[in-house]
Amino acid sequence: MTGKQRKQIWNAFQLTLILIATFIMLVPIVWIFLAAFKTHVDVYQLKLFFRPTLENFGTVFDDPYRLGEKLYNSTIVALVTVVFAIPIATCAAYSFSRFRLRGETTMLVMILATQFVPAVVIILPFFVMFRDIGLLDTRLGLILVNLAIVMPFAIWMIKGFIDGIPLDTEEAAMVDGSSRIQVIRNIVLPMAAPGLLTAAIFCFIIAWNEFLFALILTNKDAVTLPIGLALFKGEEGDLWNLLSAAGIIIMAPMFVLALIIRKYFVQGMTMGAVR
Amino acid sequence: MAEVILKNLTKRWGDFVGVDNQSLDIHDKEFLVLLGPSGCGKTTTMRMIAGLEEPTSGEIWIGERKVNDDLPKDRDVAMVFQNYGLYPHMTIFDNIAYPLKVRGTPKADIRPRVERAAEQVELTQFLGRKPKALSGGQRQRVALARAIVRTPKVFLMDEPLSNLDAKLRVTMRAELKHLSRELKVTTVYVTHDQIEAMTLADRVAVMKHGVIQQLGTPDEIYNDPANLFVAGFIGSPAMNLVRGSVKDGHFITVDGVRLSTIASEDRNEVILGVRADDINVHEAGAGDIDTPIYAFENTGEASFLTVVWGDQRVIARGDRHLRKEQDDVVGLTLNPDHLYLFDPATERRIHL
Ligand SMILES: Nc1ncnc2c1ncn2[C@@H]1O[C@H](COP(=O)(O)OP(=O)(O)O)[C@@H](O)[C@H]1O
Ligand SMILES: [Mg+2]
Repeated sequence: MTGKQRKQIWNAFQLTLILIATFIMLVPIVWIFLAAFKTHVDVYQLKLFFRPTLENFGTVFDDPYRLGEKLYNSTIVALVTVVFAIPIATCAAYSFSRFRLRGETTMLVMILATQFVPAVVIILPFFVMFRDIGLLDTRLGLILVNLAIVMPFAIWMIKGFIDGIPLDTEEAAMVDGSSRIQVIRNIVLPMAAPGLLTAAIFCFIIAWNEFLFALILTNKDAVTLPIGLALFKGEEGDLWNLLSAAGIIIMAPMFVLALIIRKYFVQGMTMGAVR
Repeated sequence: MAEVILKNLTKRWGDFVGVDNQSLDIHDKEFLVLLGPSGCGKTTTMRMIAGLEEPTSGEIWIGERKVNDDLPKDRDVAMVFQNYGLYPHMTIFDNIAYPLKVRGTPKADIRPRVERAAEQVELTQFLGRKPKALSGGQRQRVALARAIVRTPKVFLMDEPLSNLDAKLRVTMRAELKHLSRELKVTTVYVTHDQIEAMTLADRVAVMKHGVIQQLGTPDEIYNDPANLFVAGFIGSPAMNLVRGSVKDGHFITVDGVRLSTIASEDRNEVILGVRADDINVHEAGAGDIDTPIYAFENTGEASFLTVVWGDQRVIARGDRHLRKEQDDVVGLTLNPDHLYLFDPATERRIHL
């Protein structure tokens, strides 16, 4: 066997592996896509060809499921979380990146360490606390919880992007006549913009998909989409076609965001100095 | 326009001394070069003047004002950074306009001033581009244009030419010199390149280990070095330094070779300094000292002969038409009018 042949075989082998992996990952999604357009009858058969219907998407918004409310809750909770998380995290990240703070490393490690605590461990104290101050089953409560979840992640991620901005550039702006605030507004924010956008999208996704806290801390008014999925377990068993339609509604923003991220994530990662 | 005065300026990081109790008066409209090997505290000194580094002790005056507690933006200086520090997300126009915009210059004034600055550094056709789309030399000009778009009290330039290739550096050096004589603004220029220092400076401050070794015109630094460090640092090739002694008006190397007459009393341990230019090359027998050649190098514009005297190698500069081979014997004569003596213990110059 020549070296070239060996390389071709190796490439084919790699490609096969990738295809198999992709297939395994995509099967559930494809299944959901098909099921969402099937009738209650068709859904139990593995038919690839059937008469598609949009009926499921209507049903999930009607009584008793009322997915619209959950969609509204999810949107508000995720958006408000991001709107607060990114500016606060940017301030924190800038300070960590540019100033020598007392106990800087300790703080950074502790921020990260909060991520190591399993959610199930702290969910009970949260429940008790929220019950006592009346935050149970409120969107505000969920927003606070989600902020706690995404902030460490956002701070670390944005710090990485700001670290990538050469100090020279900021110092040049200061000598050119900018105050610290002007440096941040005119230089740091525009240069870190792809990074901030990437962080915002990641935070949105995390908040959007958050399940455990929403499950325990809400029951009626503030229920979010992932919890809403549980509604489709009726007396007659699992309503797979409705479940799938709701699943697509949950996933839809993810697809859009994934496309945006693909463009900016790379840009954010490779952004750097002009020497 | 203003003078810059440093009074007992010190910068320490923990135990490490970056700049050690230095005082320096930089005159109005003067082009002062801080020259020294890498790590000697040049950048630190400049950054303290700009306000980017806080002095451990000492005072900095710009014009009539003590600026120690002023933010960089309030010191009215313009700086060219070694890596240029351009704003990658702005066009060249906006890069150059930034100091004007951020200082609240009326909009109508900005465009003509940016265009004039761009013209001075020949960037006019690139104003719409982003820094990424420019070559190193062009970026360097943007940094320069951004500095000259205002008339600050002081220009600060930190090795602005060091990232350019050798050829471009020579061109830009001349342009910089032209520009500086045109603008007539007090300038502090940092470099480790002695040719840049010699060609650009009104005065040079030679630094080593955070201490200014000598302050003087390029002429004084070259022809009247204050100590061994300055003598060895300035000039290419570096000044030859030969250990030996002075006896009966002659300098004698450690292994007893009589090199030249010298106008000095008897001394036991001294170091003789002589530049390659001040050693005349003759045929064997026609000079004072016959010596075999250790290495012969011809650069096209000159020839350099390395010989061994005592325990040291010495370089003599010969005519560009001179052709010799290794181990050929030549006669060398030192020019007695341009010899220097140094005390090996203090490293200071012994004035003859
Ligand atoms: N922030 C810092 N902390 C500690 N040491 C520093 C710092 N900045 C510079 N130094 C040290 O101070 C010395 C002088 O640095 P610098 O002024 O940059 O030298 P140069 O003459 O090459 O410009 C160097 O040895 C450098 O390592
Ligand atoms: Mg330096």
